Amino acid sequence: MTSEEIVEKCQAALGGDLVQAEVNLGDAVIHISPEALPKAAEWLKNDPDLRFDYLSQITGVDYLEQDREPRFEAVYELHSMDHGHSIRIRVGLDEENPTVPTVTTLWKGADFPERELFDMFGFHVSGHPNLKRLLMPDDWEGHPLLKDYPLTIEEISFSHNPDHKSELIKTKSNQE
Amino acid sequence: MSVTEQGLLERDKDTMTLNMGPQHPSTHGVFRMILEMDGEIVRSSEPDIGFLHTGIEKTAEVKRYVHCIPMTDRLDYLSPPQNNLAFCLTTEKLLGLDEMPARADYLRVIMCELGRIGSHLVWLGTHAMDIGAMTVFLYAWRERELILDLNEMISGVRMMTSYIRIGGVAQDATPQWIQGVREFVDIFPSKIDEYESLLTHNPIWLDRTRGIGTLTREEAINWSMSGPILRASGVKLDWRKQRPYSRYGDFSFDVPTQEHGDVYDRYLVRIEEMRQSREIIKQAINRLPDGPYKIQDNKVSLPERDTLHTSMEALIHHFKLVSDGVKVPAGETYVPTEGPRGEMGFYIVSDGSNTPYRMKLRAPSFMAISGMCHMMADSFIADVVAIIGSVDIVMGEVDR
Repeated sequence: MTSEEIVEKCQAALGGDLVQAEVNLGDAVIHISPEALPKAAEWLKNDPDLRFDYLSQITGVDYLEQDREPRFEAVYELHSMDHGHSIRIRVGLDEENPTVPTVTTLWKGADFPERELFDMFGFHVSGHPNLKRLLMPDDWEGHPLLKDYPLTIEEISFSHNPDHKSELIKTKSNQE
Repeated sequence: MSVTEQGLLERDKDTMTLNMGPQHPSTHGVFRMILEMDGEIVRSSEPDIGFLHTGIEKTAEVKRYVHCIPMTDRLDYLSPPQNNLAFCLTTEKLLGLDEMPARADYLRVIMCELGRIGSHLVWLGTHAMDIGAMTVFLYAWRERELILDLNEMISGVRMMTSYIRIGGVAQDATPQWIQGVREFVDIFPSKIDEYESLLTHNPIWLDRTRGIGTLTREEAINWSMSGPILRASGVKLDWRKQRPYSRYGDFSFDVPTQEHGDVYDRYLVRIEEMRQSREIIKQAINRLPDGPYKIQDNKVSLPERDTLHTSMEALIHHFKLVSDGVKVPAGETYVPTEGPRGEMGFYIVSDGSNTPYRMKLRAPSFMAISGMCHMMADSFIADVVAIIGSVDIVMGEVDR
C-alpha cells in the first residue's frame, strides 16, 4: 500500500482514537493518544492488509524548546515484511505524567528501546517486564536526553564568594 | 548463601551465576552478561550495556549538521561510510535534495560496499578466532589492510573517514585510487575462496556452528533482528533493494538468504554478501560517471577553493557555510539504509536551525542484543561465544 492508502485506512478504522494522520515527506504518520496505543498497535499488527509485524525502532523527543503541547513524544517506526510498507506512530505524552503502555506483548524487540525511553527521558512504560536503566548506571540521577538536563556541570575550584556555586552549562555554543 | 552444620556453603538455588565481560575478549567490546548456569547449560542471560556510552545523541543537539558527521563515524566504527551515508541521506531528505550527482552516488556506493567488506572481514576473523580457527584472522586482516589503504588514499584517514558529506562526498576520486579499487576487485574473489576453504566444509567449524543459536523466521522478525541475521532466517529484506537509495537500483546484485537461521547460516549469508558487495563495486568502478562529485548548490556544499579568489558570491557562500552551517527546514524524518549489521538509519528532528533538535540512531546491534540473549537460553556455555560472534555486535553503536 502507498502511504496515502495507509493513512486513509487508519482514518477509517481508528476514527476517534486518531488525533491526526498525515503523509510527511512520503512517510505515513499517525498521531494517537497513549490510551489508544495498545488497541491501535494490535490492529496495525494483525490487520491482513497492513500486517506491521516488524518494529524498527522506538524513540522519544522532548519538545520543551518548541513550546509544544504535549511536551513529550514517543515515536514508533513499524514495517511490514509481507507488504513492504512502513508507518510512523507518534504518541504525545503529558509533561506531568509521561506514561506510555508497553508494546513488548506485540513485538518482543521493544524491550530495549522501551527501557531506553525510561532511561533517557524518564517515561514510565506501563506493563514493561523489566523497566530499569539501560545505558546509564543504576544510581544515576536525571534523564540525559531531556532538554532541561544540562550538558555538563562546571565545577568552581575556588571562590571567596560563598554563594558562588557550580554552574550548570547548557549552551547552544555553535548556534548564531 | 548460608553455611551448613559441617561448615560448608549451602547453595540457595540450583543454578550458578556467572559473570561474563565487560573485559571478556569474545564479547567484542565492552559488553557484559550475567549468565545463570545449570552445569554447562545456560538457563538465562541478562545483558548489561552502557560501558561505552558517550552521549553522542545528546552532543549532536549542540553540534552543527556538518560537525555531526565525524561523530557518526564513531558509532559503528567498523564501517564509518555507512553511518555517514545514513546521516547525510536523512539530512538531505529534510533539505529537499532528492538527487545527488551520479558520480557522488557511485563514490558513496563504492565506499559503503568497501566498508561492508571491511566490516565483514573483521567479523569473520574475530568470529573464527572465538571458535578456535586462528588462521582466518590473519588472512582477513591482510585483505582489510587493502581497504584501509584505499580509505587513506581517498579521504586521508584509514578508519574514521568522514568521507560522505551533505550534498556529495568530501573530495573527488584520484586515478590512483580508482586503480587501487580495480586491483582489489580483481584479487578479492580468490581470497574469499581461501577463507571458505578453511571453514565452509571444515568438520570442526560445522560442529560448532550448525544448529546453534537458531532463530525461526517469526522469532527473528518479532525480536527486531535485521540484516544478515534476518536473512539467515529466511526473510529477504535488504533496504538496498526494498527502497533503493544512492542509485543502488543501477546495480545488479543478489540478496543471499538461508533457511535454518543458525550460526552457520549467518556465516554463509555474510560470505555471500562479501561476494555481492565486490560485484557492486566492480560495476560501480567500471561505470563511474564523470561530472561533479557534490551538488553545485553552494548553500549546501562548499564552493571550489580556486573560485574564492575570483567570485564574490563564492566567498560569501563559503563564509556563511563555514561560520554558520547549513540551516535545515523544520520537520522530522527517518531513512532506513542497509548497513553491514542490518537496518541503520537516523531519526532526525529539525527545528529549522543549523543544529539537529534531536538525532536518534536506529542501531542494528542495539536492537539485536535482547534477541541474542533469547538465542542463548538452553545452549552450552561454549556456544555463547559462537552466538555473540554470529550476531556481530559493535558496542560503539549499541551504547552511542
